Amino acid sequence: MISKADSLHAISVFAQLPSATLEDIARVAVPRAYETGQTIIFEGDPCTAAYFVARGHARVARVSAGGREQVLARLGPGQSFNTVPLFQEDGVNRATVRAVDEVRLYAIAKKDLIALLRTNPKLGLALLRDFADRLDHLTDLVEDLSLRTVRGRLARFLLEQAETGAVSPRLTQAEIAARLGTVREMIGRTLGDLADDNLIRMDRDRIVLLDRQGLEHEVHG
Amino acid sequence: MNDWVLPQIDLDRCDRCGLCVHHCPTQAVEMGGRGPFIARSLDCTYCTDCEAMCPQVAIICPFEIVWVEREVSR
Ligand code: SF4
Ligand code: SF4
Repeated sequence: MISKADSLHAISVFAQLPSATLEDIARVAVPRAYETGQTIIFEGDPCTAAYFVARGHARVARVSAGGREQVLARLGPGQSFNTVPLFQEDGVNRATVRAVDEVRLYAIAKKDLIALLRTNPKLGLALLRDFADRLDHLTDLVEDLSLRTVRGRLARFLLEQAETGAVSPRLTQAEIAARLGTVREMIGRTLGDLADDNLIRMDRDRIVLLDRQGLEHEVHG
Repeated sequence: MNDWVLPQIDLDRCDRCGLCVHHCPTQAVEMGGRGPFIARSLDCTYCTDCEAMCPQVAIICPFEIVWVEREVSR
């Protein structure tokens, strides 16, 4: 029979922790089982616990402003959820989590986890490390998203500008940035990216459009 | 041939902070008696770094946006 501390060891946030700390966590971790399709937590409910998946898979979803359900992530063994709102005053569950197969997990109540943190700096560090990874991931994601939309907006802008009559406008990158609601560095970088992809060519003081189809694809892509 | 276009400097806006001189990667810009000027025009790669650095928007590198076929016919 594997002990509770052993199976907690398989949770990635806890993986580096000494066994004494795992024993402390095991004392407050409540094992729970969910059937396929069962809801584990509801978006918007007060956050009362953090969850650590031992077996099975869960789906994390949010309801968008338009009422559509958006799946944000799929969680598997070793992963955790609901740790972030746990540390917020009056934190609420940020998403609905549902079991996609038979799920076994450990729930740790908010007050228990916070009490543990007071006496276990190693657990605090482990959670911080996990938060740091998440933050990194989100930063990349945000950059990627805004880059992508700037790319599309810039492609549209270039196409429009190149069409306007006989006199080509002369614009600085700062002016283009202002027109597109972004910053100059973003324009410089995105122009470089478009040039790398052979959609345009930077020819000293000229932005030469090379590929109409490709640029239109960026606008609608 | 297209003219060898250079960054445009507006000395009325310029407060002679020297950032453009300092940051030009090819040392094309120099500080003269009246303000900065492109001293070695052939060295200027039109990289736009001087424009990016200038706090007064006194030095600018504008771009023309053209279709490749129109460019050929010019
Ligand atoms: S565009 Fe670049 S190379 Fe030319 S003067 Fe400015 S910083 Fe120097
Ligand atoms: S950075 Fe701008 S304000 Fe400063 S010296 Fe150059 S042109 Fe003038």
